[in-house]
Amino acid sequence: MLKWYEETVPDGDVVISSRVRLARNLENYKFSPLLEEQDAKKLVEEVKSITPILSEQDNRKYYACNIQSLSDIDKTAMVERHILSPLLAEKEQTTGLILSEDETVSIMINEEDHIRIQAIVGGMNLEKAYEIANRIDDIAYEKLKFAYDEKYGYMTSCPTNTGTGMRASCMVFLPALSAARMIQKLFEEVGRYDVTIRGIYGEGTRSLGNIYQISNQKTLGNSEQEIIENLKRIVYQVMQQERKRREYMLSLNSDEIEDQVYRAYGILKYAKQITSEDAMMYLSQLKFGADCGLIKFNREFNIHKMMMGVQPGSLQWTLGKSVGSAIRDKARAEYISKELPDLI
Amino acid sequence: MLCDRCHKRTAKVLYTEIINGIKNEQHLCEECAADYTSFQMDKPFFNTDITLNNLLSTLLGAYTPNTTKKSGEGRQDIVCSNCHTTYEEFLQRGRFGCAECYRSFHKELGKTLRGIQGAEVHTGKRPKGFLTSTDRMVQGLSEAERLALELQEAIEKEEFEEAARLRDLIRQLKREEANNA
Repeated sequence: MLKWYEETVPDGDVVISSRVRLARNLENYKFSPLLEEQDAKKLVEEVKSITPILSEQDNRKYYACNIQSLSDIDKTAMVERHILSPLLAEKEQTTGLILSEDETVSIMINEEDHIRIQAIVGGMNLEKAYEIANRIDDIAYEKLKFAYDEKYGYMTSCPTNTGTGMRASCMVFLPALSAARMIQKLFEEVGRYDVTIRGIYGEGTRSLGNIYQISNQKTLGNSEQEIIENLKRIVYQVMQQERKRREYMLSLNSDEIEDQVYRAYGILKYAKQITSEDAMMYLSQLKFGADCGLIKFNREFNIHKMMMGVQPGSLQWTLGKSVGSAIRDKARAEYISKELPDLI
Repeated sequence: MLCDRCHKRTAKVLYTEIINGIKNEQHLCEECAADYTSFQMDKPFFNTDITLNNLLSTLLGAYTPNTTKKSGEGRQDIVCSNCHTTYEEFLQRGRFGCAECYRSFHKELGKTLRGIQGAEVHTGKRPKGFLTSTDRMVQGLSEAERLALELQEAIEKEEFEEAARLRDLIRQLKREEANNA
């Protein structure tokens, strides 16, 4: 079964993935930040018990585990693939995870909320992500008693999630807007529409391949559909601006850009050692070139998958062991060289 | 240079703190920096929410209706009946302790939520089979009472044919009741 980052997707030149996350809590436990260890254990077991029901009703195979049973490399790799949140990977209390085989659905247990249902799909497809998360929510509700109030909606640990408990987001690739230093302006603009934009792993980092995350800010007062519609409008706006900017850049100095794209390919294909920052920068240039049709591969090739693959955790996971950064840089260069297809 | 806190390891971080306009600079090693501040050197994405947390508790405080000390003391009395979190603790931590906190804090909560969310009432999804208080009230009514409600609604919507049908149904029900009695 293909994973979400292995499929060809709608509007994939700008929108890498769409994600919906629903925060839910059980009535009969204190919220996670106040939970005692013995209750945490009970909670994780209770939630994990829905795994077979999910497999049966959702037509996907689901697996459950305790996060504590995973190695540090596994955890980091899962954070890089957006399966785990950084908070859950770090937490010392008993925490759990239910994951679908295709990595589309992950259910984090005892994160900031008791349950965080997350569905992630490739490209611009927020409706599909919501449809999946919503279905999982319905299935889970039959077994688990969620804290829900007529007035406040889903009651969450943090008041910024109260109501729908929903955070919808799109991961967007904005090389042209970044190059034009228009990101800061964009941050300010979208803020007026209850939407936030930030770097994928940290705050506004350019070095991480010009990838950003746009998500809804508010969770109360609007329905899930309204929130998604609003977010979609903004993402489409951003997408248009990015595409316009790309065209403009190409019309201005296509020779230079083409040269840069091919240089990036050359370095990625033939370097003997490379840091993750450099790899991300060149992969970003390569993706830009491929999206604009400046460079063509001799087979289907998903650059974003490689972007996740070059991260320290994923790389060590592939290697099967924890190694120092010097060895990692060599292994990364080898991995890229091997996986990168030839050009036409 | 050695760390200003532990005086053992090499300082790698310059930590500047400004509290009430007084600037204080410290040279810290990674360990002390991680301990003392929200800073972590090799895990850039593991600490993004910490700053958000700080910000949030400031926001929560700022949006609370009476932040002057006098009325603040009154608020301290609000305690969650289930987990014993006080309203003050909720404001400081930016986190509820349990679902019951929402009910215990309901008097203050509307304005706080309006401050951060711009709204205080949920209009989105309702879990399957969840009954609102109106649903429960309607369930407790007799058939005739329920029809009377529907009749009223039909009149408000100016659906007079439907209203006439409901009126006849109610009459018939009342007649039957009288006969049975």
